[in-house]
Amino acid sequence: MPPKAQFTREDGIYHSFCGLVSVGWLYQKIKDSFFLILGTHTCAHLLQNTMGVMIFARPRFAISLLEEADLSSAQPAIADQIAEITREHHPSVIFLLSSCTPEVMKVEFEGLAQSVSTPEVPVLFVPASGLDFTFSQSEDSVLQALIPFCPEAPPDDKRVVFLGSVNDAIADDFLFEASRLGIPVAGFLPANHFHELPPIGPGTIIAPLQPFLAKVANQLTNDRGATVMSSLFPFGPDGCRAFWEDLAAHFDLKVDLSEREAASWARIKEHTDLLKGKKVFLSADTLLELPLARFIRAAGAEVLECSTPYINRRFHARELALLDGVRLVEQANFERQLRSIAEEQPDLVISNIITANPLIGHGVVAKWGTEFIFSPIHGWAGVNTLVSLFTRALRRHARLDPLGNDPVWMAGVMPGAPEIIPLTRG
Amino acid sequence: MRLAYWMYEGTAHHGVARVMNSMRKTHAVFHAPQGDGYVNTIFTMLERTPGFPAMTTSVVSGTDLARGTLRLPETLRQVEAAQHPDLIVVVASCSTILLQENLEIAAHQSGLACEVMVYDANPYRMQETAAAEGLFTELVKKYATSQPLTPMPSVNILGPSSLGFHARHDLISLRRIFKTLGVAVNVVAPWGASVDDLRRLPAAWLTIAPYRELGRLAAEYLEAQFGTAALCDAPIGVQPTLRWLDAVVEQLNTVGARLAVPPSPLKLPPLTEFSLDGMSAPSNVPWFARTADMESFSGKKAFVFGDATHTVGVTKFLADELGMPIAGAGTYLVKEADWVRSQLQGYVSDADFLATDEFQQVADRIGQLRPELVCGTQMERHTGRRYDLNVMVISSPTHIENHLLAYRPFLGFDGADVIADEVSTTCTLGMEKHLIDMFGDAGLELVESPSVPSADPVLVSNGKAAVAPVAVVADVVKPTNGHAPEGQPSNGVASSAGAPTSGQATPAPVVNPVWTADGEAMLKKIPFFVRGRARGNIEKYAREHGIATITAEVLLAAKEHLGA
Repeated sequence: MPPKAQFTREDGIYHSFCGLVSVGWLYQKIKDSFFLILGTHTCAHLLQNTMGVMIFARPRFAISLLEEADLSSAQPAIADQIAEITREHHPSVIFLLSSCTPEVMKVEFEGLAQSVSTPEVPVLFVPASGLDFTFSQSEDSVLQALIPFCPEAPPDDKRVVFLGSVNDAIADDFLFEASRLGIPVAGFLPANHFHELPPIGPGTIIAPLQPFLAKVANQLTNDRGATVMSSLFPFGPDGCRAFWEDLAAHFDLKVDLSEREAASWARIKEHTDLLKGKKVFLSADTLLELPLARFIRAAGAEVLECSTPYINRRFHARELALLDGVRLVEQANFERQLRSIAEEQPDLVISNIITANPLIGHGVVAKWGTEFIFSPIHGWAGVNTLVSLFTRALRRHARLDPLGNDPVWMAGVMPGAPEIIPLTRG
Repeated sequence: MRLAYWMYEGTAHHGVARVMNSMRKTHAVFHAPQGDGYVNTIFTMLERTPGFPAMTTSVVSGTDLARGTLRLPETLRQVEAAQHPDLIVVVASCSTILLQENLEIAAHQSGLACEVMVYDANPYRMQETAAAEGLFTELVKKYATSQPLTPMPSVNILGPSSLGFHARHDLISLRRIFKTLGVAVNVVAPWGASVDDLRRLPAAWLTIAPYRELGRLAAEYLEAQFGTAALCDAPIGVQPTLRWLDAVVEQLNTVGARLAVPPSPLKLPPLTEFSLDGMSAPSNVPWFARTADMESFSGKKAFVFGDATHTVGVTKFLADELGMPIAGAGTYLVKEADWVRSQLQGYVSDADFLATDEFQQVADRIGQLRPELVCGTQMERHTGRRYDLNVMVISSPTHIENHLLAYRPFLGFDGADVIADEVSTTCTLGMEKHLIDMFGDAGLELVESPSVPSADPVLVSNGKAAVAPVAVVADVVKPTNGHAPEGQPSNGVASSAGAPTSGQATPAPVVNPVWTADGEAMLKKIPFFVRGRARGNIEKYAREHGIATITAEVLLAAKEHLGA
């Protein structure tokens, strides 16, 4: 049994996005895919405002729009749309994502997906509704849908499969590192193309790259008998060392990366000097928060609080063990967090994108957590990017003139809130 | 059911949020799944709000539904404790409205001291504009109280709102005008208004409601209920502003004449007093439009598409004050289509008028027309990039690039200058263009590069490219460079020929002409910034004449035919 980590669960009144935003990176990662969301105007408006630029690229995602007349029909008719998508975009696979409204309507998605699926272009159901899934979580659902399409590896095929979508540069970095350590690699889930999915079987070691993939990891064990590595996630020198040493151990390779880790810390000393003793408060929603807090703590900062949408005692066990003594909160209440921030005066708040500007407006040095999701922060090569994301806001704030602390420079910007009382002192 | 990629209007709850975030001491509570709070971002990122937007999601989760938990009363208590609002407006979401819960009872159970209003905004029947206008009108009806008029002439300004198109700038422009006229502003709403301010609305002599979309129904209500005169025209352009000023003065003097002790009648001051320095022309547009440089604009065709107010105002401005021909116009506010069409009688024929909220139809129309200037929303900018057309944004929905720092109103004399500047800098090149046309590329060739859009939407900031840079760049470049892989239709043709949503007749049969090397070489001699359009026009010419291969000869013939 994993150690019983101490964390509190609050009531979840904080700001965030639903799982549909995962489409923003997944449709790019899986290059021959199409993401069809059965949803409403709300889903379309969300995607437009979070991924607006992609329209230009003939996006490989769209909303199958439920309008008033469609609410009464027991099962929505999407065959024509699937045909249109197949004709226009030639995808190898179509992901059919659920959303809140069809979920409330009790649309039978498995059957719906099956009814339009063909051997040439499978249509896979992906639960992603905001009723149950937040932000990066629906990548977990997408990967689960892909499992049946991973070839069955024979028991004697002992290789690693890296779990989680990363870009090609990061993937190359992991391939290179694995070959340097003599670790055989079967591939990545997801792969860049639907037909390149890695073989997975009882000999496979699953190495999770992202902390939001607990369910698919579990299912790979149940369905294929694969072994899921329990380690730190490969963020920061400390995370990378543990990740690679643990992975090597699965292949009976004894590897000591202490020098590698020390060299990596030495390279970012300029940043860690700045972070030393700084009080950091994590109030973000990407599900990357636990490893980020663990890294920033190892880098010398004091973590006042780390809140994250969900904590999985088993999947996050190693990270939790290193966060002993840190106030961990699941499903935070944002108003309570504001009171804590006013009380504890953090030097840096990692917030979500929704609250970043208002926090800054209240005199807080804030960095939006979303940027960690969209930046190459994995592995040894990502260490500098990772630490820079933490220090950039601190440095910029220190460089700017002190004028910004005077509310006069925000006057008139927000009609409903003429006076903003700073949360920070001095 | 249909496939949708883009939406012009936001949702009903976004409309509610816009009104609540405009006002003081009011708050919106969404009874919704957590993700519906995404609308917050649009405020914090586009308007860069230094405060937290006045909206909270009372989370409904799958577990709550299974257990029958209703968290609304507790959320309302938390909002009251933290925000101390005078009014909370509760609104359901597209999913929770299907649950048919009685939110009135739930709201009542919370036992709040402040007022709680459950606003019935059915997201399947109402979008952003109707929800905002409906809520604002309801609030005015609820709070406006009969009272004596102010002793001196005064106006209400209804309509400016959070995330309204250039609303803050328009309000500055209007305030400047009223200051110059010596007329007090009684109440501005919803921008910056409290519910107490709404109570004071009937004290004004006149209500100004320049936007068709927000404030008009409230102005009409105040007129019907309290006899407050209403002026619902939009002063967009110099001539409309002059007429509007006359109407303001006349209507205020009519009210003044009715009073027992009338103040002396208002007179329009010399027009120079409306300028920024008080001694210049109030707008530079009339002279600018007559200068030699503007001659080249007189033949440039424009297509205008947006909300109702800006489509009408800008179309008339381009035609009447800059002398530009109008290739077509339209609105995505389908419910306002009749009004827009009637306003544009004599400017746009019924055949050239487009009323649709389907992005692809607008893109197809623009692709067919290839106008020299497109005035649209941020979505038409995407279309413009695809066809290499000049686009300026004249209406919501907007993009972060439309939220600039400098004073850029659309209303009043100041607004006329802003719009004209935007037109001339967007269209580019008067005399300069002749020179380049005469002498070829003038060494500018080296500058050519595929236009890459700025990475910009709210959530996906710079790091986006980090996920799959190759995919992004490849996808982005494809539509702009015009070289489609063999067997694929080339860029512009693809969407006009293949789009199933289009209601437009497409020329048939569609043959996609192939360019020969000498044809391409000749095309290269056309200045790069008009080359994309030239390519499109020549391909169109070839298709219309059943020519499958574009040689240098065909290009020359096309040039001659097109008069280019």
